[in-house]
This record gives sequence, C-alpha cells and structure tokens, in this order.
Amino acid sequence: MDLHNLNPSSLKSRFTTRFLRALTEINARKPIASSSSPREIFQRYRRIKDAADTSMAYSVRSRRTWSKATLWRLRTPSHRRRLASFGRRSSLNKTRTTTTASHRGAVVVQITSRGGGLGVQLEELRELVPGGEAMDLCNLLDETAHYIKCLTTQVQVMRTIANLYSLE
Amino acid sequence: MTSENDDMGLAMSSISMFNKSSNTSDSFFSSCWDPIVSQSGSLGGSSMASHYHLVMENQGISGTSHVSHYQSDPSFVELVSKLTGFDGGNLSQMVGPFSLPQCNQVANGNERGSTNSLRFLDEHRISKEALVGTSPNGKIRKCAPESGSPLRSCKNGDEEPVMDLSSEGCDGPREQARKKPETEQNTGANSRGKQAVKQDKDSSQSEEAPKENYIHVRARRGQATNSHSLAERVRREKISERMRLLQELVPGCNKITGKAVMLDEIINYVQSLQQQVEFLSMKLATVNPEINLDLDRILSKDILHQRSGSAAVLGLGPGSNSPYGFSPSTFPGTISGIPNKNPQFPPLPQTVLENELLNLFQMGFSGSTMDGFGLNGQLKPEM
Repeated sequence: MDLHNLNPSSLKSRFTTRFLRALTEINARKPIASSSSPREIFQRYRRIKDAADTSMAYSVRSRRTWSKATLWRLRTPSHRRRLASFGRRSSLNKTRTTTTASHRGAVVVQITSRGGGLGVQLEELRELVPGGEAMDLCNLLDETAHYIKCLTTQVQVMRTIANLYSLE
Repeated sequence: MTSENDDMGLAMSSISMFNKSSNTSDSFFSSCWDPIVSQSGSLGGSSMASHYHLVMENQGISGTSHVSHYQSDPSFVELVSKLTGFDGGNLSQMVGPFSLPQCNQVANGNERGSTNSLRFLDEHRISKEALVGTSPNGKIRKCAPESGSPLRSCKNGDEEPVMDLSSEGCDGPREQARKKPETEQNTGANSRGKQAVKQDKDSSQSEEAPKENYIHVRARRGQATNSHSLAERVRREKISERMRLLQELVPGCNKITGKAVMLDEIINYVQSLQQQVEFLSMKLATVNPEINLDLDRILSKDILHQRSGSAAVLGLGPGSNSPYGFSPSTFPGTISGIPNKNPQFPPLPQTVLENELLNLFQMGFSGSTMDGFGLNGQLKPEM
C-alpha cells in the first residue's frame, strides 16, 4: 500500500502520532520491570488510558464539547472538579427538572419526563458522553455521533498497537 | 388556476432544503431570475423545475448558493391564495416585486404580514422542508446586491452543483444555509427569530453580501402554520436527521425504528467502545514492545491502513451486551498472565526501539513536524 496516499492530517494519523509519543514517554519513564506489582501495572494502565483520551481530545482540537470536557476532566483536580460540576449540574437541572428537595451538599432532583419519555436514556447518554450534561438533545446527538467516530478510531489504533506489541 | 394550485402543491411537497455546509458564494441571481422566468413560460410544475434547472446549467451557473428561505407565517396562506389569482403565464409580473436588489428590501418590501422566520440551521439536508421555491411567486428571497457579481461568483464558485434545483421548482436567488458553527447560535436565537424579524434581518446582515444565518421555514401544505408548531416540526426533523446519522454509525441498527430503542443501542455501543478502550489500555500496560518487529512495514500498513470495519465488525446484534468486536477470551488471559509474564521480559533497548518506531511513523508523513513534542509533557496526566 502506498503510504503517501494517506491523509497525514486525518484524525487517525493525528491521534496515532500523539498516542505513540505518549506511550513511548510512559514506557521511558517507568519501564516495565520484571517485578512489576499489579499496582504498578494499574498505574500504567491509568496513565495509558488517560494518555489515549488526551491524545484523542487533542487531535480534535477542542472543536467539540466532549473534547473540551475530556481535557478539562483530566486536568482539573478532582476537588475543584466536584465543585464546578455541582454548580453546572444544578444550574442545568433547574431548567429542566423540578427540585423536590434541596439538601446541603446533595440536590435531589426529580427529572421530569420531557421529550416523549426518553428521559432516562437521555440522562444515560449524557453521562456517557463527556460534557454532555449541559446540552440539549439535538446537540447531544451531534456530539454523540462525533464521539462515536473518534472512539472507533481510538479503538482501532490501540488495538493495532497492542497487536504489534504482543507479536512474538 | 387549478393547475397553478397543483403546481404549487406539488412543488411545495417536493422541496428539499439545501443546507449545504459548503462555502458557496453568495450568489443569487435576481437578475438572472428574470430571464429565466421569462423563458419558462408555463407553470407546469416539474417541467418548470427541470427547465429551470437546465437553464441554470446553461448559464454555467454550477455552484449556486441557495437560500433556504422559508416563511412560516400564517399570512403565507393568504399570500398563496392571492397569487393564485395571477395568470399562469404571466410570471414576470409576479416576479417583478420580488426581484429587488437587496434582500433586506425584498424581505421588508414584500412584507407578508409578520415574517415568522425561524432561525434554523442544519448542516444536512432537510429533505422534507417546504421550500419557498414552490412557485416563483410566494417567495421572499435573498438577493444579491447587484446582478453582475453573483453571476461571476457563481461561475467561479467552487461549491458543489446545486442538485436540489431540479427538485425545487423555479427557485430564485438562494442563499446558502449557514454552516454548522452557527447552529448553536441559531438555536439559541430560535425563539427570538420567531417574532417579526425585520430588525433581526437587518442587524444580522452585512451590507453587500447578506449572508443570512437563519432559514425561514414555510408551512407545508395542509399543516398548521402556527409558529410554535413549525418550530417544533423543524426541531423534530433535526433530531430525526441526527438519529439517522447515528443509525449509520452504530453497526446493526438498520432495522431499528424508534427513538427509544435506537438510543438504547447507542448507549450500549458507546459503553462498549469505552470498555474496549480500557481493555486495550490495560493490555498495552502489560505488554512490552518487542524488538523483532518489522516496524517499518507493519506500522505503515497496519496502523494507518487498518480498515475501519475491524473495530465495529462484530455487530453482535442489537441488544447484545457483549463488547463489540473484542474477544473477551484474550483479556482474562492477559490478566492472569501478568505475574507470569514479567520475568520473561528481556531487557530491551526500549528507548531506541520506540524512537525508531516514532521516526518511522513520522517519515511517512511528509508534512508532519515534531511540533507535538512539546505537548508530551502536557500529555502526561498529573497523577
């Protein structure tokens, strides 16, 4: 196959480049020793996963809400994140749900069934797609489509790399 | 009279909206509208459409921007009824009040009551929207400021040919629907656009090339012309359009009709994809790069030319919860083999290997630079 036919700036190639770089750096920082404990392996796994997500989000260049949300999620420390998401979620919920009880630190909301009974699934989808809490259905579907496309790319590339690495 | 009614009904129902997100030049042809109109003497619906299409092509106007210009106010109905009184062949008369140079003026001058124009944007075709171009009469179009430049820009336009022309009937100057980046802005302004929008149009348009960034929706024949219901219809069609796209993305969803089931499938698929990413990253965490790989060949071929079907290949059918395309058997093997594998890893010159890997990869791209290297530090998540 001719290598030069490939679009060098496609999503796949951008992601692959970034991810490979991140992977090599991870491996360089902490090479796999023969005596790796499961804990170390778990740490590596976390780092690789975050690197993969970050690479993908970077390759999209923040043009998408989910990419921004992913990067933000990976960069903001968790305590700050909790505060911010609390504010965001409550402000969103005000617009579309009725707050039945408000407790300090916990907001109990009752999700009104809007949009023809799709409420539960919509909430699930919102949870799945990063950054999907504050979007209406139309944009959410858009984001989901793009997110699926990028996820499939990510899976392809990672699987190929894993296969390459595990060949003996 | 009846023929005209039929014509309009026919054309109205067969309109496809062309929200092409291409960067078509704003070429409308109020000027070339007249010759076209005068050429087409009859109001036979489809024949008019095809004739217009031919005429357009003859004039070399391949790429035209088109205004998806819908009018959704109740007075449209009265307008239509008023215009049906016109003689069928006397198109130039009807077109006269419309061919104004400025679209603002057109819109304002041909005030059909309150123009409840909906701000509506979609990057995909809304194939069922009733288009203004049903008849040359009842349309408020966006016109180019002068006739010469639209024609020129038409010819030099690099947009895709307007294939919707044939289906729209005699459509006048059209304006290109806005691109996607304005979707959010427009949906936000949707409610605002529902009132009389003279001032909206004026404010939203620049002087010489009025790129309208909302689309007017016209009521379909036999449907309610309430602005709210029209907006609802527009919104519903947007959503169904997006659902259709998603249906294509998610494997094995061709037979599913219905939003709820489709959403379930989408959720399952996204979950499985995320799980796969996790599995694969776990796998990568345990595996070391081997030295005896033919990196050159393998990298260039496999990673980049991997066919996209592989990831989504195992559509295990709707409703199945198994991970798509990932054989679960391999993973437990990896997990259980972790304590055993490690002693077997030979001390590899990893850095050399991986640099080589990267270099080979980058050599494939003529234009790729090492610009992302600085990102490497940032790519590391803070742990």
